[in-house]
Amino acid sequence: MDLLPSSDQQQIVDTIQDFLRNEAPVDRLREFGAIGNSDAKLWPKLAELGFFGLSLPEEMGGIGLSAAEEMLVFQQFGYHLISPAIFGTILGARVAAFSGDAHLRDALLSGEARVGVANSRGAAGGTDAFHLFEADEAELILLCDDDEAALYPRSAFTHIERVNSTDAVLVLERARLGDSVEPRVRVSKETENIHARALMLMGAYALGIGQGARDMAVEYAQVREQFGKPIGSFQAIKHICADMAIRSEAALCQASFAALVMDDASPDTEFHAVASKIVACESAIKNAADCVQVHGAFGFTAEANVHHYLKRSHVADRLFGGLREQRRRILTFPTPA
Amino acid sequence: MDLNFTAEDRQFREEAREWLNANVFKERRPHGGQEMREYDLAWQRTQYDAGWAGVSWPKEYGGMGLGLTRQLIWYEEYARAHAPDNHLCFVGLNHGGPTIIARGSEEQKKEHLRPILSGEKIWCQGFSEPNAGSDLASLKTRAVIDGDELVITGSKIWTSHGHLSDMQELLVRTDPGAPKHKGISWVIFDMNTPGLDLRPIDIMSAPNHTHFVQCFYDEARVPLKNVVGDVNDGWSVAMSTLGFERGTAQIKDQIRYAFLVEDMIKKARDRYGAEFVSTDEFGARLAQLRADMAAARAMTYMAVSRAERDVSPAMASLMRAMVGQVQQRVRRLAFDIIGADGLENPEDDDWVYFYLRSYATTIAAGTLQIQRNIIGERVLGLPRGR
Repeated sequence: MDLLPSSDQQQIVDTIQDFLRNEAPVDRLREFGAIGNSDAKLWPKLAELGFFGLSLPEEMGGIGLSAAEEMLVFQQFGYHLISPAIFGTILGARVAAFSGDAHLRDALLSGEARVGVANSRGAAGGTDAFHLFEADEAELILLCDDDEAALYPRSAFTHIERVNSTDAVLVLERARLGDSVEPRVRVSKETENIHARALMLMGAYALGIGQGARDMAVEYAQVREQFGKPIGSFQAIKHICADMAIRSEAALCQASFAALVMDDASPDTEFHAVASKIVACESAIKNAADCVQVHGAFGFTAEANVHHYLKRSHVADRLFGGLREQRRRILTFPTPA
Repeated sequence: MDLNFTAEDRQFREEAREWLNANVFKERRPHGGQEMREYDLAWQRTQYDAGWAGVSWPKEYGGMGLGLTRQLIWYEEYARAHAPDNHLCFVGLNHGGPTIIARGSEEQKKEHLRPILSGEKIWCQGFSEPNAGSDLASLKTRAVIDGDELVITGSKIWTSHGHLSDMQELLVRTDPGAPKHKGISWVIFDMNTPGLDLRPIDIMSAPNHTHFVQCFYDEARVPLKNVVGDVNDGWSVAMSTLGFERGTAQIKDQIRYAFLVEDMIKKARDRYGAEFVSTDEFGARLAQLRADMAAARAMTYMAVSRAERDVSPAMASLMRAMVGQVQQRVRRLAFDIIGADGLENPEDDDWVYFYLRSYATTIAAGTLQIQRNIIGERVLGLPRGR
């Protein structure tokens, strides 16, 4: 039993961290007009480095590593606020792989095809109403719920209408899923529980967002001076930062645990995936909010990067079902072992 | 990363579960007094006699000589079997003993370790003083070296179960001229020493039972050989003790609380109906706690993983701070679930008792605010300052 990364796993973390630091610094989101998925240009490079098929078995064209490595990588995607379209592409490749469509699988693993993410609008729209994230140039759209995961062609959606996104760097559309349309490929929960994996990975992604906000606040508290001292020397600020670290630690431990029970195919896999999403999304939202507060008026501006963390944390919370839905769900599981 | 236990670990778990199921004390633990002391010692003795005491303690001092992973497994099974929390043994098992193992002389180990495991001696803590709480290093209880003895004069406070204890881990000032962290010594103190006087202090959760005592030392004499580590090096010895208290000593509680939340879900459903619980605010709080307790348990696994790799003890404050707050939320919700009945406080109702008791979890072992200072300065690297 060991919750810490092995040296091989740490090497993977170092590789993706270096790559994203160079290719996708959070400052990229500040470029004027950087709306739309500019991160898609990273996909072929990430694909070449093997990150898209990390946890797929080798006979399915993947690298054959476990959910633990995938969790560690998604943590870094969250830390660098990589477009959530990454869920569409990586989980989409998994859908294609398990549905037996090797051609589509390989196209997705190469990073050439784009996949958007559909998310139910829930009570706001009715059962067939969705938000499409980063789907304007996507050929396929991932739709993943409790029963199955599927890739639909964009043409399966009707009434597509571009709307302003709260997370302004993302392309957001409203759409309805047409009547009696069939997905290009689908995988039932019984074949492969991609929904549980989506929740687990969203926990990892949200963990990364919260850690990014924590580090940004700590860095600022070390250099910003008032009353002749760095503000981080005052307990009023120091304790806010400490609370951010506590939340991130809880989210990190649960994300690690959730990935490991998934690898063991434990009956508690869904329970721990849901718990991870709950704990991590709370850590992301609260850390981002605290990060605004530590930055004062500067934190309220569009010039600081803080607002990107806050807005992305809410996207992470809403995708695949928000806090209210996950709380309802977690009470439905039997007592975990 | 790996969640798998070895075949030997699993075998150990099976044997532990079997023994615990057959031997756990079923009688309710008394909330105070000599009955509580006898109960705790008897349960400790039962574990020792069967060879289950001190899982990670060295064999030569009566332990099992197994690692922290086995200790984790033992605590998991211990909580699963609803084994009683023999809290009087806590200081000996989790501070005093581990400190002597880490820093004590061979003679001190031979004399003091086995009686802790075997349920002969209860240990208490003598750290805080009326004017040295969070600023522990400002402690003033004086110890003057006189030949081969220390002569101790001063006062300690918030000593849990001091009136039921045999031994005390005591911090005294041996060099008042040195900087405050450099003149302290860590001393093994016998509670039967002449010159010691105790004043009982009741606590809010059980007003009929003394919990704390204040200790007054009036030229109490202790052999110099009872100093653990070097004279004037007691601060570093004490810090290793607090590392244990904030870290691995908490494992058992996390598992216990996870089970408690499960009991609460059941109790709330029985009382209000399953449908109601899923829509009511109780449901939202139970759901959140279920997720938080899963995380708290994962944090104990991480604590063991870190301890095996010798990571900074300041990291233990992350878990301590998180878990202290979650435990309070658990107890508060348990208290709320029983509704108006919470205003009755019968002697045999644990849910009211433990609700009130939970206010200690963000104070004991360093207040939540002190933990936040440690996290801010030693984990995040923020500048020192108050």
